[in-house]
Amino acid sequence: MICIGNMVKMLVVLSNLVLIGYACATGLALAYLVQREELVHRLATLATIAAWAVHSVALIVRGVETGRPPLASLSEAVSTAVWVVVLLEMLVERRWQMPALGAFVMPVVLILSLNASAMRPQIGEAFRGAWVWVHIALAMIGVAAFVLNFAGALMYLLQERQLKAKRPGTFYYRLPDLQTLDRLTYRTLALGFAFLTTGLILGAVWARTSWGSVLTFDPLASLSSLAWAIYAATLAGRAVAGLHGRRAAYFSVFGFTMLVLTLGAGLFLPGRHGS
Amino acid sequence: MALFVAGLNHRVAPVALREQLAVEEDKLRELIRDVQASGVATETVLISTCNRVEVYAVADAPGEARAAVFRRLCQHRGVDPATLETLLYTHVDDEAIRHAFRVAASLDSMMVGEPQILGQVKDAFALAQSCETVGPTLHTLFSQAFAVAKKVRTETDIARHAVSVSFAAVELAKKIFDGLTGRAVLLVGAGKMSELAAKHLVDQGAFPIYVVNRTWSRAQELARALAATAVPFDELDTALGAVDIVVTSTGAPEPIIRRDLVQRVMSGRRGRPLFFNDIAVPRDVEESVETLDDVYCYDIDDLQQVVDANLRERAREAQRAEALVEREVAKFSARLRDVEVIPTIVSLRERLEGIRVAELRRALARVPDATAQTRDAMEALSSAIVNKILHVPVTKLRESSRAGVGRSWTTFVQELFGLGRST
Repeated sequence: MICIGNMVKMLVVLSNLVLIGYACATGLALAYLVQREELVHRLATLATIAAWAVHSVALIVRGVETGRPPLASLSEAVSTAVWVVVLLEMLVERRWQMPALGAFVMPVVLILSLNASAMRPQIGEAFRGAWVWVHIALAMIGVAAFVLNFAGALMYLLQERQLKAKRPGTFYYRLPDLQTLDRLTYRTLALGFAFLTTGLILGAVWARTSWGSVLTFDPLASLSSLAWAIYAATLAGRAVAGLHGRRAAYFSVFGFTMLVLTLGAGLFLPGRHGS
Repeated sequence: MALFVAGLNHRVAPVALREQLAVEEDKLRELIRDVQASGVATETVLISTCNRVEVYAVADAPGEARAAVFRRLCQHRGVDPATLETLLYTHVDDEAIRHAFRVAASLDSMMVGEPQILGQVKDAFALAQSCETVGPTLHTLFSQAFAVAKKVRTETDIARHAVSVSFAAVELAKKIFDGLTGRAVLLVGAGKMSELAAKHLVDQGAFPIYVVNRTWSRAQELARALAATAVPFDELDTALGAVDIVVTSTGAPEPIIRRDLVQRVMSGRRGRPLFFNDIAVPRDVEESVETLDDVYCYDIDDLQQVVDANLRERAREAQRAEALVEREVAKFSARLRDVEVIPTIVSLRERLEGIRVAELRRALARVPDATAQTRDAMEALSSAIVNKILHVPVTKLRESSRAGVGRSWTTFVQELFGLGRST
């Protein structure tokens, strides 16, 4: 039997390491945006990979320690979402050759990690079960995709602004072209929406079988439905009404704001999702 | 023996003097062979471009070698050597290394980052090689200068951004579209400037190209030159809907591309951006067009502003390049000093090895019935003695070169062992 006390100590050390790693990666990614030194970018990538690896270990240790997926409290779930965000960031940055991406994703990662590191109450024992884990996991992958969506939208808005203003500055030189950024925003929207939708439906179905109703008030459920509605409208607009570019980017920023509010409400308001 | 560079460039000498000193290839060959033969320099490379005349050489007395080269040059071109005396700069050792690296990396150019200079340096080096005036020092120096130039080019953005208005259009298009391959271009007006911009776009893969002009014959003429399609002037609206990039350069007194026209065109493009380069004065595109979504409209001043920003960016990158060169100079200077002692180390080793092999053969001849084992032992013994003896002098020679006094040590060792003479 592994000593639980040691495990807890080890977890604290690991999560501190993860935080430090993400903080370094954020600083380096921002420095690269300003400085454009190849070495700085390499260091940022290294810091990201290292922090992500430690994060993976931390999640596994937590899973082993508690004997369940690391999704039982909102802070755990957010930590898992952050893990997915960093994975996506590394993949997209490499695949789409977007060295500046880290500067837009890693600050969000850092802020989310800071929130997730605070210990929060867990969801009740009665709520645990395969369906619930899948519900949370899918929703978190959705959230992760929307972080990338937000970063893409932000980059689009900055690049578009510089091109319209006709005054080339840092962003003009560092950021990719508008069409690529618009495509990134579209794809991450579609990905995030698919996962969030499935996740929310599972949650609703589960709520119905457990409480007999989906309409009981819960701050996280209500707000996340609102965020979902914004993303649904954006996706519909993009797919059929020719919504694109700047306007679509505004919608993405709006949707992400709502998502952050949702997480905030989940953390600080009482409801079924813990607290 | 010192490595030095002497000469003049666009900063110190007016163009009138530079063009007088520029020499053609044949004369260049003759000149460096002549200098080499006179014995004032052991290695010589001469670079002659429209912006610089420089001699890179290894000589005992740099001042003498410099005078010899430029005296011959002045003689050939009928220039009074006295006019040069005050202008010429001379850099020795580390300074010379730094200068060579900066020149090859285009940091010493009139337009910092311009790509031609590296080719010119390479040509000058190849020419000197063919004249056999390149020895180990200049060979190492120039090989490294080319490597540093490449490094500067890949690790900094010194040559990345457009510094001409016609190329700025290409660069902007690349920030709007994901690549230019297959992007359709429309030229409105058939001026020289728009032709140049079109050529840059075609080089990047833009295709097809349409030409609209009020004079039909001129449209056809330009279309032929660019392998483009001429379109009648009254089909301008249709053409606008089909292309991604528009270059306008007509002499029309009033804007010919109006907001309502572009608005109509945009509604059918499903979000595909449209990029106007209006290089006409007075402008061809109505100013309010730029307020439309997905429309990017740059007039000649805007393009110039992009060029200015790029120049500032270049200057910033040049500073990073200078720092990079500085690091390379420090690294290289140690290596180059090794170069000056290596020939001595090699000949010392050869000398001792020659003695060892000869003496071993003689000794073995005296004991014809020695077993293979004995022979091996004698072989190993003699090798060990030679290596033990060589160890300290070789280390000392290397150390002396790093301390900058390699020259006196090599002379001393050569004297002591009678090296470099056919004894």
